[in-house]
Amino acid sequence: MNPIITAFVNGIKKSGLELSNIVVVSDIPFEPEVIKEAGVDFFHVTRGRAIAFGTGLKLGNPDLKVVAFIGDLMTLGGNHLVHSGRRNMEMLVICVNNFIYKEIAGTPAPSVSPGFSAFSTFERPFNAPHLANSCGAVYTARWTALHTNELENSIANALDKRGFSVIEVLSPGPNFYKEINQVDSELLDFYYKNSVTKNNEDTRNVEITPEEKIVTGEFTDKEKSPFIDTYNAQLGKILGDKFIPLGGQSGRD
Amino acid sequence: MKANPRDVNTGTYYMDGDVAAGYGALAAGCRFIGGYPITPSTEAAETFARIAPQAGAVFIQMEDELGSIASVMGASWSGVKTMTITSGPGYSLMMEAIGLGAMIEAPFVILNIQRGGPSTGVPTKTGQADMMQARWGSHGDYEVIAIAPDSPQELFDYTIKAFNLSEKYRCPVMIMADECVGHMSEKVVVPPAEEIEIEPRRFYNGPKEKYLPFKPDKDLVPKMVKAGDGYNLYITGLVHDEKGYPIKNQLEKGKRQKLPTRRLVDKIRLNADKIIELTEEGMDDAEVVVVSYGISYRVAIRGIEIARGKGIKVGNLRLITVWPFPDKKISELASKVKAFVVPEINYGQIVFEVERCSHGQANVVLVPHGGAGVHNPEDIAEAIEYAVNEKKKIRKVVEWKTRLEKFVFEGGYKLNK
Amino acid sequence: MEPLKMIEKDIQPMDVHPMNDILRMDRLPHIWCPGCGIGTAVTAFAAGLDKANIDLKKTCIVSGIGCTGRVAGYIKLDSFHTTHGRGIAFATGIKVANPDLKVIVFSGDGDLISIGGNHFIHAARRNVNMLVICINNFIYAMTGGQVAPTTPLAAYATTSPFGCVEPPFNIPYLADSSGAVYVARWTALHVRRLTNSIAEALNKPGFSVIEVISPCAMYYSRINRLGDGLDMMKFYHDNSEIRHGEDTKNLDIGFQTKIIVGKFVDRERPTYMDSYNKWLSGTKKAEK
Repeated sequence: MNPIITAFVNGIKKSGLELSNIVVVSDIPFEPEVIKEAGVDFFHVTRGRAIAFGTGLKLGNPDLKVVAFIGDLMTLGGNHLVHSGRRNMEMLVICVNNFIYKEIAGTPAPSVSPGFSAFSTFERPFNAPHLANSCGAVYTARWTALHTNELENSIANALDKRGFSVIEVLSPGPNFYKEINQVDSELLDFYYKNSVTKNNEDTRNVEITPEEKIVTGEFTDKEKSPFIDTYNAQLGKILGDKFIPLGGQSGRD
Repeated sequence: MKANPRDVNTGTYYMDGDVAAGYGALAAGCRFIGGYPITPSTEAAETFARIAPQAGAVFIQMEDELGSIASVMGASWSGVKTMTITSGPGYSLMMEAIGLGAMIEAPFVILNIQRGGPSTGVPTKTGQADMMQARWGSHGDYEVIAIAPDSPQELFDYTIKAFNLSEKYRCPVMIMADECVGHMSEKVVVPPAEEIEIEPRRFYNGPKEKYLPFKPDKDLVPKMVKAGDGYNLYITGLVHDEKGYPIKNQLEKGKRQKLPTRRLVDKIRLNADKIIELTEEGMDDAEVVVVSYGISYRVAIRGIEIARGKGIKVGNLRLITVWPFPDKKISELASKVKAFVVPEINYGQIVFEVERCSHGQANVVLVPHGGAGVHNPEDIAEAIEYAVNEKKKIRKVVEWKTRLEKFVFEGGYKLNK
Repeated sequence: MEPLKMIEKDIQPMDVHPMNDILRMDRLPHIWCPGCGIGTAVTAFAAGLDKANIDLKKTCIVSGIGCTGRVAGYIKLDSFHTTHGRGIAFATGIKVANPDLKVIVFSGDGDLISIGGNHFIHAARRNVNMLVICINNFIYAMTGGQVAPTTPLAAYATTSPFGCVEPPFNIPYLADSSGAVYVARWTALHVRRLTNSIAEALNKPGFSVIEVISPCAMYYSRINRLGDGLDMMKFYHDNSEIRHGEDTKNLDIGFQTKIIVGKFVDRERPTYMDSYNKWLSGTKKAEK
């Protein structure tokens, strides 16, 4: 089974949250067995829309704990990511990054997955933790899929946060669906060996470049009023008793 | 079930159609609207944003229409009634998600106040050119329900009905109003809550282990649960079985028959008689029937009056439900009447459905309009007159040259052949 | 040439508008309300174009939808008025297909940052060579005053009738962290500095962003009872502070708080076309 999903399931267990309250939204399909084992609710939606779908789930029922898996590297869903960060929508986003770089740390990377053209990699990738941080995320972290323990703890920590949290996981091939067991272990190992953990590093310095080692760690961990709290506070202030706040005893049917 | 008094702002108002739709949505029990401002539908979102917090409902302005519709589906599965509000360009952006909504059978309502198109077109003027998009916009096979109200009062009433239909059949329901109706101010009566019938969500009550999210009831519609209630849901836009699990090999023996697309289509088609709502008038001895919907219906009434003044026997058929299309009704009429006249604010959409259903038995005349305005009733009257006098069977849709068309294309342009 | 000098060169100064060469005079008067800052920004833009000494025949201007979306229609360049939010994507197409062209995207905050937010961050990431001028009036004005992703917390708008509950974007920070090479912010009051900034950015290779804080007298000011356009200008005069090179993360704007303006980022990074050409020539060599 894919190490990220294992780590995710273990992370939930570590966080001690009620499993049935957790809803996973993903734009990549998971194996049904995994979801069954995890005991959570799962939605597989159109590409890039996991965060927006999760926003609806959260506002429809504020008691839910929403986790969004993004497999598309913020291509289609980049806008939802930055805006949810700005709102500080309470949600954990696990961003699976399977970028391909021809050279990392001066060494040619092992062969890229078939189907990826060598021509497709000249664009500079996003510094995902920095983008998330600059939009207002309360928690950002980056790990490779082999940092199992750290990733598990990170997921548990992020699930405890009230606010928009982003964890970037470097992993070769987002191919959870078909041949889950055939992870390119050689490439994974390469990422792992070429990474260096620097917790609390300024997110500006964690860009992944061919020259330097990949910086992993927990970068941001701050407190900020999540969207629903801000909403309840502002509307409560203006409307007073007439306002029915979201969440808890909200009088929703 | 009756509406919750907290949601209903009972009273008699003078308001525009968009505002009425906002009131209607709340009265129907809507608890979440994800929207994005777009003329001419914005007033509906503004209204809901103003009245929702006092009823425990929420309006969120998402970053774009793609986000709006995705959040609406998410909220729908979290167990509340939901709607989004948009117009032409925003509606185009939502197409992909309508397919997902049909596939995961999320009940939600889309209010589309149509404007002149294509593209940015004429934002502040009317159009009826999204009718086919409503039906066929997303890829793949699915069926939707679309309603075309013709007055602010109807925007209130039919918004409630749209919610009821979406809960009943678990499919996207579109309210295809047009700018004229959305921006028209008229008297709107909001009845007391006990007079408003609303359809509750069809929740599953049985044992948790036995729940299958896509196992249909007798009317082909499955029961729903809320996310986060411990049902271990697996909901996907992939072709799935009753459990919701993706069918990897679509030709797997035994599973082939259970492909959901057949049911997605059938749950609407087989229930069409229950869904379709029409009004008809003067049909008994009609020689020509005018088929219209939305604002064109109100214009057609005058056109029919003029034609009747000249002694022509005209029937008036209004499509309140445009999709599913009333095939049976049109076919039945086609064998009795000489011709259909279809005025619509586009260059031919629903008219081709009418032609399809008339099976060559009656002539079909289109009274077109390029948008940004409504028909001149005289044109409709003249088209009726032409239709009743035409002796030949014409094996195609006749496009009536209206005054506006003659004016715009005076001299006409010649195509190089 | 300075706009005023243009008058001198013409035979009958009174007959020709000083910006005749840059504005489509046949489309005037424009649609903007009295007190709006977009007109001022357009004037600064026209003067900046003049100052930048670029070939106007090889310059395109692209707008999206909204009040500012109408700018392209008044500028006598090759103008494109595109769909909502897609200005940058459209401009990327122009630039990549014909790198000889100079591309300017002139649009509003709702258009560029809300619905077009994804194109904005991705174009900055790619460092596509274009200048983005983003008029920030804190509201959706064309549709009648809805809340925008730049509306300050607790400010009123028609879709946030009880005060905005979403923290606004800090546009320079977003641009900076996505990879823009030139980031500046001015208000509609800083006409001269804005002009210079536009001229400078036009000659800067890479993705440049200039945010222009502009009064919306009709909606933002009216709904929030801030007076008319002139009152807003006075507010900018009293409350804006020039701090060049300020760290972009300190540039948040609250409701009627101090506005920090200036040029914040000016750096070098390979542009999209540079990386593209370098990469492809490298690959070809490797294949041989």
